[in-house]
Amino acid sequence: MPHDRGSNRLEFRGLVRSFGRVAVLDGVGGAVDGGSVLRVVGPNGSGKSTLLRCLAALVRPQAGIIRLVEDGREIDPAARRRRVGYVAPDLAFYEPLTAAENLDFFSRLRGVSPERSGVLLGTLGIPPQRAAGALSSGMRQRLRWAWALLDRPRLLLLDEPFQNLDAAGEAATRVLLLDHLASGGMAVVATPTPLELPHVAVSLDLSQPSAMAGAA
Amino acid sequence: MSVPARSAARRWLGEVVAVFVKDWRAELRTRHALHTLLLFSLTTLLTVSTALGPLGVSPSERVGVLPALLWIILLFAAAAGLPRSFVHEEETHTAIALRLAATPSAVFCGKTLFCASLLAGVELILVPLYVAMMQLSIASAGGLVVALAMGGLGLAIASTLLAAIAAQAQGRAALFPILAFPLLLPLLLLAIELTRGAVEGVMPDAVLVNLVLYDATMAVAGLMLFPLVWNP
Repeated sequence: MPHDRGSNRLEFRGLVRSFGRVAVLDGVGGAVDGGSVLRVVGPNGSGKSTLLRCLAALVRPQAGIIRLVEDGREIDPAARRRRVGYVAPDLAFYEPLTAAENLDFFSRLRGVSPERSGVLLGTLGIPPQRAAGALSSGMRQRLRWAWALLDRPRLLLLDEPFQNLDAAGEAATRVLLLDHLASGGMAVVATPTPLELPHVAVSLDLSQPSAMAGAA
Repeated sequence: MSVPARSAARRWLGEVVAVFVKDWRAELRTRHALHTLLLFSLTTLLTVSTALGPLGVSPSERVGVLPALLWIILLFAAAAGLPRSFVHEEETHTAIALRLAATPSAVFCGKTLFCASLLAGVELILVPLYVAMMQLSIASAGGLVVALAMGGLGLAIASTLLAAIAAQAQGRAALFPILAFPLLLPLLLLAIELTRGAVEGVMPDAVLVNLVLYDATMAVAGLMLFPLVWNP
């Protein structure tokens, strides 16, 4: 069901995160509204993945504010973790289980009907009965997309989202991203190289100190 | 209970069952923990029975020695196999997807149920063999079942919580036993005492109450601490 674009918003300010003595994020800020994309760029090690992990509430920032509003309601950090769609190279699935069993398991956890996982497996061309451990790296990336879109989240956090995908895989995932944006969803996309993306409203360059998002 | 509360409780229970079923499904395909637990307990049982056997321990000493040996075997088997449930999630990076999808308390309860059922399966195979090989006569079979059930449950709850803590650390292999042994010592003493009571046919009620209280305390502490350990 399409969401009201104006009532979805992600906003973050002054995010600081360091690991030991290495300051990875130093006062980073930005915002994205429903129907649009915030593109995060920067070289390797500039903090793109850490920023996405902070936004997913997988890593706690040492300072700063993250505010997620969905359908006009502010979501607290504990709930935010369970409401985002997350695609990242470090996201892995249970290797002894098949692709379908993996998605069925996460559907049960997120309270989604099992039909939804079947539809996503079909759309993305993932062999449902193949063990996740036996999937190629491209198919694993497709499975990450299927997992991220299971419960139609308002916010997608995509870290190098087209990595390892062939032309068909990239086309299928781009269609899913467009559908997500058309229904009022938001996306934050991290990429180390220039990438053509639809509906990019703002860009955030993490190679700049205290980076703030600016017009794309 | 109101309708939304009932629906939330049903959903939470569904998550617990999903984690439990997933762990068993993955375990039955790889059998890592099952093999570790069974091989460790059977090897130790053979060693103990060969070294001490029915002839090695005099009938008068059996009541004092054999229940303690049984629980030492179960403790080391549990320490070798149970921490895998969390360590493996962290090592294979599946913990990220689980963190993003499940309620922390449901993960804790699902994994505790998995560990408890795994340990119960090992007890089911090991204990009859132990009783037969060591020629241990049990005066109260029901008492022995209660001792094994309550001791096993406590071992599973404590191991699940400690495995979750150890899985977050760098020196995972070393941390689990360091954390486990002081925490599990009271449990072991109570379980040994209760098993001794079952062997003699005199169940010490105060020990049983203390064991139930230990299990309940560990369960409450686990439910309160686990979200802090599991989430950053």
